[in-house]
Amino acid sequence: MFKLSLPDGPFAIEIASILIGVAVFSTLLAYISMLIYRLKGYVGQKRADNTIPLVDNLLLEKVLLHPQINTEIPKVEMVELAKSFDIKELNPGWAKHLLIARLVNYRKNVRGNIGNAIRSLFIQLELDSVCLKMLRSRKWYKKAKALYILVEMEIVIPDVTLLPLTNSHNHHLRSAARLAYIKLSKNDPFKFFDVVTEPLLQWDQVELFRVITSSENFSMPNFARWITYSSNKSVVSFCLKLVVHYMQLEAVPAVIRLLDNKDHFLRANAINALGKMDVDEVADQLLHMYHNQPIICQTEILKALGRFRNQQAKEFLKREFLHSNDFNLRKHAARSLINILSKEDVLIKELMNNATKESLMILKHCMDPLIKF
Amino acid sequence: MEKVSIREVFAQFFEGAVFAYGLTLLLIYALLAFFSLIAVKRYKRLDDLQSLNDLVASSLTPGITVLAPAYNEGLTIIMNVRSLLTLNYPNYEVIIINDGSEDTTLLQMEEEFDLLLIDYAYNERIITQPVKGVYKSKNPAYSKLTVIDKVNGKSKADAVNAGINAANYAHFVCTDVDCVLHKDTLLELIKPVLQEEKKRVIAVGATLRLGNSCDFDHGVMIRMRPPRQLLARFQEVEYIRAFVMGKMGWSVLNSVPNVSGGLGLFDKEVAVSAGGYDHQSFGEDMELMIRMCRFSLDNGIDYVIHYLPKTLCWTEGPATIKVFMRQRTRWARGLAQLMYTHFSMVLRPKYKTMGMVVMPYNFLFELCAPLIEFIGILIYLFMALTGVVNWPYAVILLIFVYTYAVMITTFAILTDQLAFRYYKTWKEVLLLCTTPLMEFFIYHPLTVIFSIKGYLQFLGGKKQSWGNMQRQGMGTKKI
Repeated sequence: MFKLSLPDGPFAIEIASILIGVAVFSTLLAYISMLIYRLKGYVGQKRADNTIPLVDNLLLEKVLLHPQINTEIPKVEMVELAKSFDIKELNPGWAKHLLIARLVNYRKNVRGNIGNAIRSLFIQLELDSVCLKMLRSRKWYKKAKALYILVEMEIVIPDVTLLPLTNSHNHHLRSAARLAYIKLSKNDPFKFFDVVTEPLLQWDQVELFRVITSSENFSMPNFARWITYSSNKSVVSFCLKLVVHYMQLEAVPAVIRLLDNKDHFLRANAINALGKMDVDEVADQLLHMYHNQPIICQTEILKALGRFRNQQAKEFLKREFLHSNDFNLRKHAARSLINILSKEDVLIKELMNNATKESLMILKHCMDPLIKF
Repeated sequence: MEKVSIREVFAQFFEGAVFAYGLTLLLIYALLAFFSLIAVKRYKRLDDLQSLNDLVASSLTPGITVLAPAYNEGLTIIMNVRSLLTLNYPNYEVIIINDGSEDTTLLQMEEEFDLLLIDYAYNERIITQPVKGVYKSKNPAYSKLTVIDKVNGKSKADAVNAGINAANYAHFVCTDVDCVLHKDTLLELIKPVLQEEKKRVIAVGATLRLGNSCDFDHGVMIRMRPPRQLLARFQEVEYIRAFVMGKMGWSVLNSVPNVSGGLGLFDKEVAVSAGGYDHQSFGEDMELMIRMCRFSLDNGIDYVIHYLPKTLCWTEGPATIKVFMRQRTRWARGLAQLMYTHFSMVLRPKYKTMGMVVMPYNFLFELCAPLIEFIGILIYLFMALTGVVNWPYAVILLIFVYTYAVMITTFAILTDQLAFRYYKTWKEVLLLCTTPLMEFFIYHPLTVIFSIKGYLQFLGGKKQSWGNMQRQGMGTKKI
């Protein structure tokens, strides 16, 4: 009469019995894995504890305290010096990787002659070939790691090896390759800006910005080239940051042209850049366009007017402060107004005297040196 | 034809249904364990590869607001604020919200940090209890610090909302003032936001652990140890399972159900647009997360929630059964409230994985699990009394559930160990590994009972209050 298709007792018990076996076996396997992993970790730590001081001592004794370290260690001497590192403790593969990590760490922290000596030592010890071998690995993270090391050591990688990696499917490898290309390519290091189709992530931008702004090896191009012609918004946005950093006044016309761009964020970035570069000849244009803009652009316009300290804008700022419906816009207008005028200015006093409770609070907020925003 | 009694049909159906339910739950755990292993491995590779130093030195690093509500935290407030002020990040502010403390919390901060009452243009985008005053420090060394003094809102949610209203950056990190954060917490939390390729990161969470037996030096964690007390150690194991396995596993499916109130980074615009924390909720963190997801999906925002397996925050776990009961009944009420409020999301394709996976999972395997378990035990007792239990089978099923539960938790500990090798000695790991063996008999029944108590309180509509624990102080504090 009733036929249930649900598992009856024995079937459930059969499954349960099998799963008990699986669970017990898996738990034991997990314990063993933990044991092996911790043992490995212990051995690795022991090795590191023994090897790192050895490397540090050798570096200190042979390189950092070398009598000619402040000028330049001759190549012949560097070859001799490298032989001191040719000891059995540093021969195994794991020791070489520890040595590389240590040299990279030193190189990160020192520049000039000491940095150059560490780089020469890296080459003399043929550790670059270890990295180039890693670069041929099929695993993306090994390639990326090799790229980071080679960038830090400023070891040139042939374009033929590097360029394909800049288009890798793996984002992290692609990002490392772009960084390496900018830093190491002997040709036009900014060439990849022309071809990059994927967005530059904020993380990429942070890394690229560091590499570009800290490098002394190449002359800066006029970034207006990409601001004008690149169809990649993230490249344009990044170039705007570089234009501001280098105060590239020759790029200003290209930045101004961005004020007509359809993308709100690019427009906001352009206004921000113009404000920071103090290009106050665009003040009228900004005032003219203000009411047709989204909040993000309006905010940047108000901030830019404050940076310009343009007296012509004070009536406009006053109006915005008094009549805008948006609290933050009112705050930005007030802050810019206070940037342009002194606290003792008649207009400020007049505003203070006639202000509503909220307006007075905003004005006091903006005048207080303890408040940053 | 053989006649089957209704009782037999019911018994067969119950056995089958419960077995299928249990098997599904265990399968889900197995899948989560697998996904978590993938996610942790991926995280570890990137962590080894990428340095956070570039972010520290860069002018492009986005600003973050750290929000820490405080209610009667006079015992530890100074050390905790100092700890927050020394985080390794180039561009951040700390907002402490004194939620009408009745002790000397505010007074101590005023004295220690040279605070001055200022005229602050406070924009109440989220409605909260009135703000009585905003303080900034006269000392430039504490320029990052802002203290908001407000009328008690009887909830952490109301206090955090006031902090969100005053936050100046696009992202805020919400923590508890008594939590100890890793010095690189902000760098770690912002990294997934900067590395996201296509989607909008609306929240990032990280693993929390219990600091009960850890060593701290002026608010900095210097040595991790599993808690010495059994109750706290059970919770440590539970946290590893929930964070390292559960949430990491869910993150692979972009279905993280909750970013803990102890530590989470949020997109301010989305959080404010979604209405901020619900001050009436007992599980305000989970409720906000669900509401932010719902808001994003309703408004066509292609969002993602990231989770980090690294432990970035240490909190004090309840040390007594009484405090533990209060905590768990509160969480259970929060879950019941959440399901009641957002039940309309369940099985609606519009809400994607949140509606089709997370909410049904929460309903069936989080909300209903204690009830099913409790009812199951009652029926079992009834059947035992009426003599219809097949004892050999019953024992096999019990062993099955026990061994499977131990296996899943051991896998979570393994994943944690493979990734980070926390704890210095073998003894400490062994101590942790033996804890799941007892969890089934001691800890789990307690959580079931307290959950049911929480559901009953939800149905009875008991009043809301701040969920402060009675603190005993974390670990060994070196001074």
